Amino acid sequence: MLLVSLLLAQIGTAQTPKVAASLTRIFGRGAIGTPVVVNADTAVRVTRGDSVLGFAVVRNVKGKDQPITFLVATDPSDHLKDIDILVYREPYGGEVAYEAWRRQFRGKSAQDTLEVGRQIRSISGATISVNAVTVGVRRALADLTSWHRAGAIK
Amino acid sequence: MWRPLRPVMPVAATILAMAITPTFSPAQESTTLGGYGEIHYTNRSGRNTPAEVNLRRFVVYLAHSFDDHIAFRSELEIEDAKVEGGSAGGEVALEQAFLDYRVSDRVTLRTGLVLPPVGIINETHEPPTFNGVDRPAFDHDVIPTTWRELGVGILGTLPITEGLSYRLYVVNGLKASGFSNAEGIREGRQEGRNASLANPSLTGRLEWVRPGLRLGGSFWYGGTTAGDTLLGTGTFAAPVALVSADARYERGPLSVRGIVATISVSNADTINALYGTAVGSRISGGYLEAAYNVLPLLAPRSKQRLNAFARHERYNTQADVPRGTTQDRQFARRVTTFGLTYKPTWNTAFKGDYEVRRTAAGGGVGEGETLRLGIGYQF
Repeated sequence: MLLVSLLLAQIGTAQTPKVAASLTRIFGRGAIGTPVVVNADTAVRVTRGDSVLGFAVVRNVKGKDQPITFLVATDPSDHLKDIDILVYREPYGGEVAYEAWRRQFRGKSAQDTLEVGRQIRSISGATISVNAVTVGVRRALADLTSWHRAGAIK
Repeated sequence: MWRPLRPVMPVAATILAMAITPTFSPAQESTTLGGYGEIHYTNRSGRNTPAEVNLRRFVVYLAHSFDDHIAFRSELEIEDAKVEGGSAGGEVALEQAFLDYRVSDRVTLRTGLVLPPVGIINETHEPPTFNGVDRPAFDHDVIPTTWRELGVGILGTLPITEGLSYRLYVVNGLKASGFSNAEGIREGRQEGRNASLANPSLTGRLEWVRPGLRLGGSFWYGGTTAGDTLLGTGTFAAPVALVSADARYERGPLSVRGIVATISVSNADTINALYGTAVGSRISGGYLEAAYNVLPLLAPRSKQRLNAFARHERYNTQADVPRGTTQDRQFARRVTTFGLTYKPTWNTAFKGDYEVRRTAAGGGVGEGETLRLGIGYQF
């Protein structure tokens, strides 16, 4: 209960509805997320009724000087379902939030070596953000996959 | 342990948002230090032209975010390594210094010393982002990079279709007394120092972006009197109008970029009479550059890049001249550059290139070949 209280105290930042909206967008209406503490990290188990729809994690990577907050969601077979840029604070490079760029990640698994210039096309003039988010997604996907396989999230 | 929460929360998904909130870590003040720089070796062809080495740019990037909405950003530049009283050359200058207020995901307000969003290089000028040791000559003589002026602006994305963004600024105007035959409007920039606000000018850009592709169109429109009533009165007196279009394309090892721009100097005749110069009434040109990452041919698994590139520039700072000014064909320039850019990381570059300059006048004036080597970095 102490943990719950602590977490309740964190409510009220402007980003909170964005996570909810993002999960609804990715998994559809009625998707319920439950936080799962894994080591020092927090993953999200996404369910609807009795079925597990997938998992997600919210992270920051550093852009040129600001954190870029993004969400990575996987399906139960550990394939990347979608990513979302939740908060972008930089003056340039916000194109990483575009659907046309994000969709390149869909269906990828931890075995895919997600690299800019190979599997992931870059965006001229948004190099820093493209590289930062790609590295962040690669790590998040690897973490979600290994946690799932180890049974830390299920 | 989470079950008791569910009835409390109207939207199930928000439950987890609370738990994740710590990882957002926003709303904390933070200061960022960064920088970029470049060192050049330049060897011009011909007799009595020994090679030269120069610490061309050393730039400190300092930024501070006050919260999730307000951020300050600046670039402080030292050109040519040092500035000393009594000796020519060198420059210490602020290249940018502005406050951003992010109103929403779609709209940001900006005020301060800003970069007019014109062309490719002016806003994205860190050395690892372009091929060639020096910036393209076009981005010196036609678009005067690094172009910065004081003003206010709005920028963001347009909801019409994904990938469309804009920037629109009102800034202090150019100063016609600095215009010249060889460098067009370049020395008409006021660069934030006691700038005359006699001619508030408009500048903006519309961009469309897809993965691998960025298309842009830019403009500048504004008077140039800087309060000199002999040149004219009124905000938009003796106007300069610039329009440009540019494209950047990347696919696998191939990258291509190009730009065209035209600048009309409406009262060039008066300007030339008044200030004893010979600025063109029209300045125009462009370039096309193609680069190919050849490293995969040598080392298929390498993540580094080795770009072989070629660029051809054609521009004329006296494309048209006003009545009373003699057109000098040496200002119709053709610059061809080819070379290599080795990038062990995306933000460091070792460069080498060979440049051939020709003019429509021929005869060697303003012509020649130059070998350049250089390093560049950003972080």
